[in-house]
This record gives sequence, structure tokens and C-alpha cells, in this order.
Amino acid sequence: MLVRPGEKVKIRVKVNGIWYERDIEPRMLLVHFLRDELGLTGTKIGCDTSTCGACTVLMNGKSVKSCTILAVQADGAEITTIEGLSSDGKLHPIQEAFKDNFALQCGYCTPGMIMQSYYLLKENPSPTEEEIRDGLHGNICRCTGYQNIIKAVQDAARRMRA
Amino acid sequence: MFPPQFGYYRPSSLADALDFMSGGGAKPLAGGQSLIPMLKFRLIQPKFLVDLNSLRELYFIKDEGNIVTIGSMIKHADIVKDLTIKNKLPLLSQTASKVGDMQVRNMGTIGGSLSNADPSADYPAIALVYDAKMVLVSSSGEREVSAKDFFKGPFTTELREDEILREVKFPVLQGYKFKYEKIVRRAGDFALVGIAILAKVEDNKVEDIRIAYTGVGDKPYRPYELEKTLIGEVSLSKIKEFAEKVSNSVNPPSDSRGSSAYKRKVTQLVTINVLKEVLGVVS
Repeated sequence: MLVRPGEKVKIRVKVNGIWYERDIEPRMLLVHFLRDELGLTGTKIGCDTSTCGACTVLMNGKSVKSCTILAVQADGAEITTIEGLSSDGKLHPIQEAFKDNFALQCGYCTPGMIMQSYYLLKENPSPTEEEIRDGLHGNICRCTGYQNIIKAVQDAARRMRA
Repeated sequence: MFPPQFGYYRPSSLADALDFMSGGGAKPLAGGQSLIPMLKFRLIQPKFLVDLNSLRELYFIKDEGNIVTIGSMIKHADIVKDLTIKNKLPLLSQTASKVGDMQVRNMGTIGGSLSNADPSADYPAIALVYDAKMVLVSSSGEREVSAKDFFKGPFTTELREDEILREVKFPVLQGYKFKYEKIVRRAGDFALVGIAILAKVEDNKVEDIRIAYTGVGDKPYRPYELEKTLIGEVSLSKIKEFAEKVSNSVNPPSDSRGSSAYKRKVTQLVTINVLKEVLGVVS
């Protein structure tokens, strides 16, 4: 496949269970594709320097920073955004735990924080506090000081093990 | 922020990719965790990106007994999980878990990291300490370059514009003690100073020892001559003398992570602490 500078490329991406086909510039970032092309504005742009993790989504089951991925890299891939976590109007246990443990204030880091927590718990269903802190260090929160986020992840782990 | 305009080529084979790159003006895309931020900051404006992600032939871990060969597209997350690497190259396994964060490790590759040659990156010091060999390929052939000769300066390697790193060969050092210590001010930062050690110790005597640093200069640093002073009986005074000589021989850049003097001091102290730990010195 060859796309010359200035030309567009057709990509097919499955997002939250639905296949989308779009013509985009190769330079379009995945986060812009999700927000601007597909209208899924749950995923946030924070630092734009791959540091804060507010843009975290799942790509083929793995957590990634969507501001540091080209949409064309997601061609043929399955993406899950925060919008895809709840089903039939019911919140995911991680979302419930964040709510019940006051793990957010402004809420800006929260979608990314929840997506990364989802991945962390998938890899390690019973993490220690140390492992949670280590697993979430790619996500920055300016409001909470992290304590309630840690509690929420521990709570979510308990709920998901039950 | 968003990248400048560029063309995009998705090759169907490595030969295809190399053929395309021989035309010039093309940058290879691996995990993109260094390349894409550079594009967003407009530090580079390549005419084309060549996407290596579809090339399964670059994605392998081969256990060849005394050597483990790792394909350049293997991700940091793969290295962390791989049992062969955990058993045969434990220093590399430990280091991979300290690169960036989980999200970055799910995309970033060993080939990309080595080719990028950030002076504060983690793998270049590991490559030096293992005496790894890099295999560089282009449409005109292939060549093997030792890690010692591969890193030339900040973000500069032996790679020509038409070449990519295909694989890295690590010798297996059985029975060596190992540690990678990465000093950071905040989790996820690049190393302020990083030290990698591999040591063969028998009856409190050092038979072989290799030490390499990151963050102390333009490229990873291995004090080949000074290392030899640690051979023989393990002693705290030898360790302290080595640490002082090393910190006097480096000239780290002053930057947002710290001043040159501070980094030199950290180099000295981390050398003493980690050597004491690895060589089993109780003070």
C-alpha cells in the first residue's frame, strides 16, 4: 500500500464493537480519529507529549496512548474506548468503584485512568498497592492525589473477583 | 499538536521495505513512541513513513544456546513477559520493565529504542554491557556492528538512511549477577542516570565485570579500562575508587533533569550503592 504525501488512505477500524470505514490523512492521530471523526469524545487529550495517559484506549486488548499512535496504525484493529466499557446502560465494575470511592474530581484524567485500570486488572486480577501504583504511573491526575484512585482499583478488583 | 504531512508506505515484505527506503527520504515506523512525538513537535519532516508493523519476519525471539537473537520489532512488553529472556538474559528482562510505562511498553520496540539512541534511554547501556551485536540491513546487503561501534552520539547511530536494524544478538552470560538501576525524579521519566552491571563472582572474587551507564553523556558509556580495576578480591575501597574515577571521567549535560555536577555526584553514589549490592559488600 502506497499513499503519496497529500493523498488520503482508507482505514477500517472496529471501535466498541462497530466497524468504521473512513478516508483519512496518514498523519491523523488515533485520538483525533476517535474524537473528531467518530465523535467519541470520552477519550481526552491532556499533555500531547505521551506523558499523562488521558488519551489511553485499548487497541487489540492492550492499553495504548492514542495521542502517540497514527490512525493508520489502527487499520484492521479493535479499539475499546471508555464509551465501550459500559453495556446496556450499566456501568462497568471499575466505573462503579471509581464513583463509589470518589476517585475523581474534575474527571479529566478519569477515562484514561479507568482504561488503564481495566488493562492492569486484566493482566493482574489481584494487584498489591505497589503494583497498582506501578501499573498506573503512565496516568497523571492533578486533582485527587491518587489515594482514592488506588482504593477504587482495589475495590474494583474485589468486585470483579466475586 | 499533529504531525506534518507525509506519505505512507506499508510494505508486504522486508525486502520491499528496504527497496523503498533505498530511494531516500523515508523514515521507518516501528512502535512510534519516539517517532510520533518527534513528528508532533515537527523535529523531523520525512517525506514518507515506512510501516514495519506488518513485517512478521522482524518479530521473533530465537534461543540459539549461547546467543539469544531478538527481532527488532519485539515490544518492551513482550520482553518483560518472555520466559527465555527472563532465564537467559535476566538483565534485559529487568530493564524492559523499567522502560516508560505500561502503555508505552505495549507499543515501543527494542529496535526502535536502540535505533533512536536517546542518550538517556535504557537499552543502549544494556547492549553495551552484554557486548550485543546489531544486524543492519539495506537493499544492498547486511552487516553486523557491535554495540560498542553502533552508538555514535546523541540520537545518532551507525545506521545509514537506507538501513534498518533487523535483529540484536545477545550473548548468554550464565551465572552472572545483574542489576539495572534507573534513577528518576518521577515515575516514567527518562533516566537521570542509569547503571547496568553484569558480574561473575566466585568465592568473593570478581572474575569478570561489565558496567555501563546511560544519561551521563552523548551516548551510553562503558568504562572498559576502569572496569578491570574491579577484577579480583571484592573490596569496598576498590569500589569507591572506581566510582570516583568514573564520575570524574563523565561530563553529563546540564538539563531539566539536573545540573552536570549533580548528575556526576549521582553517578558516583549510585555506582557505589549498586556495586555494593551486586558484589555482596556489607558495610
